[in-house]
Amino acid sequence: MTTKKNGKKKPAVAEKKNEVTLEKKEAVEKETVTPPSERPEKLKPDIEIEAEGGTMNESLIMVRNLEKHYGELHALDGVSLNIEKGEVVVIIGPSGSGKSTFLRSLNLLEMPTSGEIIFEGVNMLDKHVDINVHRQKMGMVFQHFNLFPHMTIMKNITIAPIKLLKMSKAEAEQKATELLKRVGLADRADSYPSQLSGGQKQRIAIVRALCMQPDVMLFDEPTSALDPEMVGEVLDVMKSLAKEGMTMAVVTHEMGFAKEVADRVVFMADGKILETGTPEEIFSDPKTDKAKQFLASVLS
Amino acid sequence: MNIYAARSFGEWFDDLQARFINDFITDNRWKYLWNGLGVTLKITAGAVIIGIILGFLVAAIRATHDKTGKLRFLNVLANIYLTVIRGTPVVVQLLITYFVILAPLGVNEIVVAVCAFGINSGAYVAEIVRAGIMSIDNGQFEAGRSLGFNYAQTMWYIILPQAFKNILPALCNEFIVLLKETSVSGYVALQDLTKGGDIIRGRTFDAFLPLIAVAIIYLVIVVILTKLVSILERRLRSSDH
Repeated sequence: MTTKKNGKKKPAVAEKKNEVTLEKKEAVEKETVTPPSERPEKLKPDIEIEAEGGTMNESLIMVRNLEKHYGELHALDGVSLNIEKGEVVVIIGPSGSGKSTFLRSLNLLEMPTSGEIIFEGVNMLDKHVDINVHRQKMGMVFQHFNLFPHMTIMKNITIAPIKLLKMSKAEAEQKATELLKRVGLADRADSYPSQLSGGQKQRIAIVRALCMQPDVMLFDEPTSALDPEMVGEVLDVMKSLAKEGMTMAVVTHEMGFAKEVADRVVFMADGKILETGTPEEIFSDPKTDKAKQFLASVLS
Repeated sequence: MNIYAARSFGEWFDDLQARFINDFITDNRWKYLWNGLGVTLKITAGAVIIGIILGFLVAAIRATHDKTGKLRFLNVLANIYLTVIRGTPVVVQLLITYFVILAPLGVNEIVVAVCAFGINSGAYVAEIVRAGIMSIDNGQFEAGRSLGFNYAQTMWYIILPQAFKNILPALCNEFIVLLKETSVSGYVALQDLTKGGDIIRGRTFDAFLPLIAVAIIYLVIVVILTKLVSILERRLRSSDH
């Protein structure tokens, strides 16, 4: 898909669309009955992959020609990107480049003006798709944590699995406790968010998203609102998550994290993807002037 | 020359005592106040319930429209309701409800008053609740949606509990105002507390004691309610995390 993204032909798109709707129907049916714990790759039939004659259907998320206008402002200008299963994609770029808008479009917190977002074979922008079902499989972590202040940490983490995945309270709490142990906050289960530090809140926010057993995690500048000494603890959690093979899309200004963890770095400016490549390619040999400028200013 | 100044305190006190007996004890006239208080409380309680239901409904419509752009038609209706109710005096609303709408159907006066005051209060409750919903950071909403909750679930589990805590003092205040507003119920032949005092005045030709008594009763109720609200408020704040 990456090779195709610039010179895309109209017929190819139309063809793909039909196929996606077929696949979607099947996927939707399955999702309503299959609990997420037993929800492996069944949804991507092998025949489809062959029919496309490529590896396209193996991508977890396929974004094509995404456009977003805010009145006059052209926030996203024909963004196309594939995110493969297990891949860590780090999106960098100057402020106002549309990277947050892009990330927030992936689970439709921002409604794109046009384009396609195909997640696990389902076109998220199709009007008949129940977006809430698909959002359950896309965990999101926000810059400002957005923990629920009126609930204890345990309730924050377990409310969604209990209400949406119909997990029993005991099961959800057991899972939450496991996850809390992993991030080193098992002793804070009965605290309220306001009693935690920023770094702790963000780790809880990650746990809250993980407890829904998502297939992909979206991070929207997860360390930008933190005091410098707390950035490390959050990045450590993200690193261990990446090591375990979680698919991640991360918007961040932490270039160190990008260098160390990213499989692919995406550079955005003015609502467009200007460059994609491995961290080495982007950081040591940027092609465009904008990328050179940006990297010079953040790496100095 | 002032007649009160001319007499000794003893004479003034005897006079007062006589008027008190005439106003409240003779013919069991205190019952006008007692029964009136019952009517006032009944109307207030009924109106509070209607006001809360109507208010939350209208607020939900308006907030949903503000946030998502949906429910345009219902939002227009809600806006008309708010404009009309908040733009006209409650006495006029009460009179219209009684004489124009419900009296021809032979509906009980208390039911009329409960409806009129409930519909009136609903408009104010709606704006209080809407302000409460809008005061919650949009990030809370996004966090709920990102977990997979739909709009209604996000409202119910995440937004409303936080909003409710913020607006509780304002809501209680609205209901204290409502209690006092019911004093115009006499316009539709209801014998509420105010009317009760006025009836005694008509019987005994003494205005001072019955009306002061009415005022004191309202004052005591309002002071008690205010006290309860402030206790509630303090308790909410102490559990605020």
